[in-house]
Amino acid sequence: MTTTKNTGATKNTGATKNTGATEPTAADPAAPAFAVRDLWKVFGPKADRIPGNPEYRILSTAELREKTGCTAAVRDVDFDVQRGEVFVVMGLSGSGKSTLVRTLTRLIEPTSGSIAMDGEDVLGMDKNRLRELRRRQTAMVFQNFGLLPHRSVLDNVAYGLEIQGVGKAERRAKAQEIVEKVGLAGMEERRPGQLSGGQQQRVGLARALAVDPEVLLFDEPFSALDPLIRRDMQEEVIRLHREEGRTMVFITHDLSEALRLGDRIMLMRDGAIVQLGTPEEIVANPADDYVRDFVRDVPREQVISVRRAMRPADAAESATGTELAPDTLVVDAIEAVANSGEPCRVVEDGRTLGIVDHERLLAVVAGIDGGSDTEGKEVAAI
Amino acid sequence: MSSAPAPALEDKAPPAQLAPAGAAKEPGFLARLAGHPKAALLTVAVLVAVVSALVTSSGTWPGGWTFGIRSPLSDAESWLANNRESHPIFLYFLLHISNAAESSVDTLVTFLETLGVFGVTVAAVLIAWVAGGADLSRRALRTAGTALGAFVVIGLLGMWEPAMETLGLMVVCVAAAAIVGALLGLWAGLSDRGQRILRPVFDTMQVLPAFSYLLPFVLIFGVDVPSAFVATVIYAAPPMARLTALGLRGADKTALEASTSLGANSWQQLWTARLPLARRQMLLGLNQTIMMCLSMVVLASVVGVSGLGAEIYTALSTVDTGLALSPGIAIVLIAIWLDRTTAAAGERLDDPCQGKGGPKTWFVWLGVIALTTAGTVLGSILGKQEWPDTWVIAIAAPVNAVVDWVETTVGSGVPVVGGTITLASGFATYVINPVRDGLEATPWWALLLVAGVLAYLAGRWRAAVTTVLALGVIGGMGLWTRSLDTLSVVLAALALTLLLGFAIGTFAARVGWVERAIRPVLDTLQTMPQFVYMIPAIALFHGGRTAGVVAAVLYALPAVIRITTQGINQIDPSALEASRSLGSTTGQQLRQVQLPLARSSLLLAVNQGVVLVLSMVVITGMIGAGALGVDVVTGLAKDDLALGLTSGIAIVCLGILLDRISQPGADVKGDTSR
Repeated sequence: MTTTKNTGATKNTGATKNTGATEPTAADPAAPAFAVRDLWKVFGPKADRIPGNPEYRILSTAELREKTGCTAAVRDVDFDVQRGEVFVVMGLSGSGKSTLVRTLTRLIEPTSGSIAMDGEDVLGMDKNRLRELRRRQTAMVFQNFGLLPHRSVLDNVAYGLEIQGVGKAERRAKAQEIVEKVGLAGMEERRPGQLSGGQQQRVGLARALAVDPEVLLFDEPFSALDPLIRRDMQEEVIRLHREEGRTMVFITHDLSEALRLGDRIMLMRDGAIVQLGTPEEIVANPADDYVRDFVRDVPREQVISVRRAMRPADAAESATGTELAPDTLVVDAIEAVANSGEPCRVVEDGRTLGIVDHERLLAVVAGIDGGSDTEGKEVAAI
Repeated sequence: MSSAPAPALEDKAPPAQLAPAGAAKEPGFLARLAGHPKAALLTVAVLVAVVSALVTSSGTWPGGWTFGIRSPLSDAESWLANNRESHPIFLYFLLHISNAAESSVDTLVTFLETLGVFGVTVAAVLIAWVAGGADLSRRALRTAGTALGAFVVIGLLGMWEPAMETLGLMVVCVAAAAIVGALLGLWAGLSDRGQRILRPVFDTMQVLPAFSYLLPFVLIFGVDVPSAFVATVIYAAPPMARLTALGLRGADKTALEASTSLGANSWQQLWTARLPLARRQMLLGLNQTIMMCLSMVVLASVVGVSGLGAEIYTALSTVDTGLALSPGIAIVLIAIWLDRTTAAAGERLDDPCQGKGGPKTWFVWLGVIALTTAGTVLGSILGKQEWPDTWVIAIAAPVNAVVDWVETTVGSGVPVVGGTITLASGFATYVINPVRDGLEATPWWALLLVAGVLAYLAGRWRAAVTTVLALGVIGGMGLWTRSLDTLSVVLAALALTLLLGFAIGTFAARVGWVERAIRPVLDTLQTMPQFVYMIPAIALFHGGRTAGVVAAVLYALPAVIRITTQGINQIDPSALEASRSLGSTTGQQLRQVQLPLARSSLLLAVNQGVVLVLSMVVITGMIGAGALGVDVVTGLAKDDLALGLTSGIAIVCLGILLDRISQPGADVKGDTSR
């Protein structure tokens, strides 16, 4: 490996696992994987006059287009992606999420703002440094796979390594290992055209994994797949994340996918952030009517935990009853309450935090537990 | 064919037909016209033309408005003849091209002769086999079998030697055209500026008749291989360039983005993603380039290149069908062999089951070389370097006997129909002549007006100005009457082509088995060089303008049928289904859904028909059709380049004029060039 490595980034490939955060040059180990500030991407004539102009900032997308001929795909976006988390960006088509993920590695050049990866300024990178970043620190999985039809599965998986300049034998050995990891063993010599959609996306995933990136970027990777296959692939991603703990930025328009995968979810609309929080926060405390509309059909009991559903315990209750951890989902609490026939205690470190009973749990299921409780306030904080 | 007076409609009938129809309808003809400014404009122009034609009944370009172009051209020719050996531009540039072309063609022909009959056949068969996949699959064996059959029949017909001469020139031209085309295609595919510059050039080149490519190079290089080489390369490179650019631009965007996202630099992206993704299109381009090279190399016999073309040329000039048939068949066989071989290579790329060859490919090619050498050695041991004369089957005499019999039987005196010769003269008298007389009777300014209006409707001011300028140049060179003569043949052939093409194309689109039946025929017809189409024409009609019309129709028909069928088949099936679910009859479906939705394809078919018909009509000058073509041939034959070149320029002007008038709009124009 050392003979073929370029000088730009010296990192020990073995150490990247589980931490997902080794340091290329000038990296700050404490910094988040991505820190994005005031990011704008405007398409159109003289796009760079838009972000700095307070007059334009308040306009809606349609008004802006009418007035200036420009389309703001990403509007004044701030967020951090923590190391090791699955960060989901979710929104309908045209909300700017795909543009946003491409600006992270400057596949699309942002109009203004700042992006830091591991504390290093991405927008300040020269061509070579940027190429190094794309080669070794990030890898992307695309909605339409983007496989090379004239190459075998194995050579497709090895493609990123080939671009890095890794020798043929070595890259094929590495690719073989990854092919087995994503469950494509035995198909190495097939062409992408002979595979089903799900298998093709496994190749796309394997290609991204093969370069052993710190951050995996997913651009609606499973939208083109059948529902059953999509579920399989989501589980594959969850499994990979559990095993390797790699940082993932995941773009989707599918709310249930976002809720399944995301440690945190960033909801976008018309290029701007509507809400950013854990799945539970978003479902329990929608920031506005738009989000509320979005999460209306979500089975709340599968997202909301008992910490949010409980009421204060009175003295008599705090000593008896089944114990539940505070992050137990309501759906599991219902089972426990039904089995024991009495309210359960929510216990953390031996201390009773509160009580869940039939009434509280049913309120969650029915969606009448209210979004304006005290805990709702913290949702707004990013 | 009795329905042929259609061309006359083009400049006379519309107002006559429209007027009563308009009068009968309620809103009134004039009122309806006012609602359609385009139609009104066209009607006015045509009316002006017809009325002025009836009033003046003679409309030649005014004699005072011509500029003598022939004497400066003659001067240029003699200057070139005197300075060809001494002027620096020749010494340091042009002579290098001509010497390189000549010596490489000589080397190749000598090489092919050295290989001998066995060596060449073995090599051709093996190359076809490798292109088909180098295994025992049906495709590989079929391709190899085609090659074997082609070469054996060429030998049997006694055409081995001219075929090798043609092949030698072909190989050099294809190599040069493919390289030039690929480089231009890279430029146009990777740079937007390249695309902007090259596209209009290619568009125009596609319109020009093949004949007109030869003349300027004859002026520069003189009559021989170099001018044929340069003309062929320039003629054949555009499809390669176009399709390379198309392939590079049409590559899967996500795959390219994926390669960028993995950190590929531009070279890596070009080599590992862009070019491989464009491979299919590039191979298609190579196929077209090869076919155009063959067509041009054969045509180059008129500038004194020996080979199969020269055999046909000699035979045609004496109207000897029997002699023309052998080289004609040989050319068709070479075309089929080359087409099937490149097509098989293309199919193999499409085939997802095909594993990657790696070391196997090297091994196979080594085997090809070894076996070819073995064949060569075997041939020289047996003393059979050339095809033995005793194995030649002379078909000229029996073919001529058949042709004579046909001529005496169906040539004339057949009840009701009249016979081919009678038909031919009838067609000339009752269709082509009236069109020509009509055109000549119309004053020149009225024709300019009609052409300008037509072009304006097709492509706005730019097209109108180009068209009027083109006509002006024709008039200015004093070729007004000759050009109208050619135009009358073109219009007659075009009307027939479109009539037959739309009818057959629509029929094929509606009836599945018809399409399946005619598709292989169309495939074969589209690969054949233009020269070959004249052979049946002279066999049946003895030459002359009707023979020219028939050759042009045969040549242009396949493309028109194909585009029509494709256009009708490509329309949104749900639209047709909706119409059927409403209970429409077949005729209603056709009139109300299929034809209107296929409109852009039909317009494209018209445009292609115009271009192809003109190209062929000009070449049929060799058998006495199309005035300008005759002048070109005479100019070349009598070494009167000034005559040939002025006619050539007039042909180019006609080509641009007809193309601009029939332009279906830039967005629908595709890559259906030959």
